[in-house]
Amino acid sequence: MPKVFFATDLHGSEVCWKKFLNAAGFYGADVLICGGDMTGKAIVPIVSENGHYTVTLGGEQQAVPAEQVTEVESNIRRRGYYPLQMSVERLHELDQDPAKRAACFQEVMLEGVDRWMKMAAEKLRGTGVRIFVSPGNDDEMEVDDVIRRAELVELGEGRVVEFDGFSMISTGWSNPTPWKTHREESEDELVKRIDAMASQVADPSHAIFNLHCPPFKSGLDEAPAIDADLKLLHGGRALRPVGSTAVREAIERRQPLLSLHGHIHESKGAVKIGKTLSINPGSAYEEGMLMGAIIQLDPKKGIKSYQLVNG
Amino acid sequence: MADTTLGSAAARPALFLRNATGLVKAWSTFDAFVYSFWSVNLITLGLYGMSFVYTVPDGQALAAILIFGVLTTFLVVTYAMLVSVMPRTGGDYAWQSRVLGGALGFVLSITGWWFTLFLWAPIYANILVVQFFSPLAYTLGASGFATWWATQTGIFVSCLIVLAFVSVVVTMGMETYARIQKICFWIGLVGLGVVIVLLLVNDQSSFQTAFNREASSLFGTTGNAYQATIDTATKGGFGGSSFGTFAFGPILLLLPWLAFYLLWPNWGATLYGEVRGAKDIRKPFWSMFWGLWVTVALVAVVVLLMVKTFGWNFYQAANSLYWGSLFGGPAPVIPTWPYPVMFAGWLVDSHLFQAALIIVMGLWFFGWAGTLFLSSTRVIFAAAFDRVLPAWAANISAKRRVPYGSLVLMIVPSIVISAIYAYRPSFTSVFLDATAVLALTFFATCVAAIILPWRRKDLYDASPIAQYKLGGLPVISVVGAISGIFLLFMLYEWFFNSTNLYGTSFQATTNSVIYFAATYVVAIAIYVAARVVRNRQGIDLRRIHHEIPVE
Repeated sequence: MPKVFFATDLHGSEVCWKKFLNAAGFYGADVLICGGDMTGKAIVPIVSENGHYTVTLGGEQQAVPAEQVTEVESNIRRRGYYPLQMSVERLHELDQDPAKRAACFQEVMLEGVDRWMKMAAEKLRGTGVRIFVSPGNDDEMEVDDVIRRAELVELGEGRVVEFDGFSMISTGWSNPTPWKTHREESEDELVKRIDAMASQVADPSHAIFNLHCPPFKSGLDEAPAIDADLKLLHGGRALRPVGSTAVREAIERRQPLLSLHGHIHESKGAVKIGKTLSINPGSAYEEGMLMGAIIQLDPKKGIKSYQLVNG
Repeated sequence: MADTTLGSAAARPALFLRNATGLVKAWSTFDAFVYSFWSVNLITLGLYGMSFVYTVPDGQALAAILIFGVLTTFLVVTYAMLVSVMPRTGGDYAWQSRVLGGALGFVLSITGWWFTLFLWAPIYANILVVQFFSPLAYTLGASGFATWWATQTGIFVSCLIVLAFVSVVVTMGMETYARIQKICFWIGLVGLGVVIVLLLVNDQSSFQTAFNREASSLFGTTGNAYQATIDTATKGGFGGSSFGTFAFGPILLLLPWLAFYLLWPNWGATLYGEVRGAKDIRKPFWSMFWGLWVTVALVAVVVLLMVKTFGWNFYQAANSLYWGSLFGGPAPVIPTWPYPVMFAGWLVDSHLFQAALIIVMGLWFFGWAGTLFLSSTRVIFAAAFDRVLPAWAANISAKRRVPYGSLVLMIVPSIVISAIYAYRPSFTSVFLDATAVLALTFFATCVAAIILPWRRKDLYDASPIAQYKLGGLPVISVVGAISGIFLLFMLYEWFFNSTNLYGTSFQATTNSVIYFAATYVVAIAIYVAARVVRNRQGIDLRRIHHEIPVE
């Protein structure tokens, strides 16, 4: 009876990734699944000048002695940001040149993912634990190549994988968002993408749909309403369903045993859509808390039990 | 793909941000303020709560209001800091369960945010009767209909109207209701402005004339109804009240009464898990702070104007007479709750204007009451996701997005409790405890805040508030302790006041003790049952909040 641990939307938080790897031992999981959006959203410059470093955290600029830089870097990574040491000249160069900034982002993100892949190999080598990752809409396409090269981590995106008699399809692509991120497409295109994988699954009662975007109007997709200027409306209290109709349609039509989602951090929950148990464990990566779901699968019963946890 | 640089133009960039999902511009502090302002509702809850101040005749109301504002500010800071550390849907439940432990968190918060909210439906229903249905009916000349609202069936029907209204709001969703709230907010403010102007431009003698005229016109009294109100109250035991009296002890005794409306600027904290940007402490703090202090300022203005125009002694006598009559005292001269808005309207000799003013000021009720169960449904969701409650409790209908599971859990018991409230007057004391039990929940949250930096060092150190220290101690612990002492004082007075001043002292209100003991027993039973059932399913509820080791 495989026990699955699912977490998603780590957004560059190294603490959460380390906890994710340790979740196998902590919860006794045989399979680890990381939903999309692994990479961080921001670079925090640690600027070297006159023999010391300066960094701005929480709106406050601080001078940091050289011997404390490692600790500061660790603190920044914990929040899901990328610390990057640079000179004043490099700082201004990145500030003024969007192309160089984009290249810099890609470099630190891929380097970060590569480091995570190596951590996974060191931590889980020889344990028999399988670990699947499928990048999300916020992850650049090049991330897939880094994962493909990983020793232990298996790339889930766009294919059917099998474990212990269960079939899992995965995609990090989402319906269009106001941010125009890397893996977005129309609902029609998303239907085709999911169908291409789902049609290869013989037995829905033993199928897992690992789809980053949650199903529309499921309660797992409630995001704060924003206006055209990306400003939160009504004090952030007004919620709108922003999930995918393609994902919903796929679940309703195929009725897999389990569907795993993320994307909307605030919309933690577990709901039944027909016979399918759909889960979004939420995300609190900025606090270094790993929100996840433990699912005990049973070849006969399907899902024996599930639990949402805050590790 | 676009990306941005953050930092002022003069300063060097502090952060390079790439374009990614969820990066939004901060919500307007004003929008959040409106929600907080509604929570400490000056009219709906405020005037109702103020009508009990007569029980402490030597208490200086203005000083008590200001002291309450200062002390509640510490509570606001405590909650804003907790939101900043853990912006979780479920608020008190999430904080208590993650810091104090799952069992304690569940029992303490579910009794406050679930079981006690049943009691608020009939309280709101009573307010709806005395501030809307009854004065409106009297003003329009339908005195028979007005008195019907005060009957047992009238109160129960009002309960059903409140529950129906709340259900509709939950069903329509917060986005639609937020728009309605804004309309109510602005029109309600205009109404309040009219009340303030009327009280400002009229003196006490013109009010006495207006009062005597309308008492005769609407209620058929003869002679000087103003003076008769004071005289009858005095016969009923009212010893008179002077606004100028200042004694510190009685001021403190007023605080538990003021809690009825001023303790709730943090009401929306249970929703902050759904608010992006809540980790920035400034937003939740300022929204709650201004919600509290704008209300404190407006209450001060309204109280001073009531002193000037109604006369403090008269207003207190009218309250004493009304509430006393429900417990065997002399019949009031005018058989309705002394609604200051209605009194202000009487300063204009037009029943049409008076009715319009009551309707406009009724928007203070309808703009807020709809959120009665909003926080409760979030707490139920959080408990269901933690598998303490059954999964169906968090179910949402696909078509209309109605959280029918949690609504059923709120509405059905509320109907039963409403019936008890309406038809069993001996249970009244239970309803007076509604504020106290929520305060007990807040107290538990303060304890969680005090020990948070040590119990959940990981979360605290990673939060933006870790930098705030006072005398080497975390500020959240200091403000949590001050808030805790404040709440503890009020809890002591509610439960053990020797003269049963608030009608809630344990030694005098057996029903109240039994009811609340029962709610805690039920909460414990639910948790224990959940532990047993989930254990059989292979789910260990204790591990929900156990932190996974990092290294």
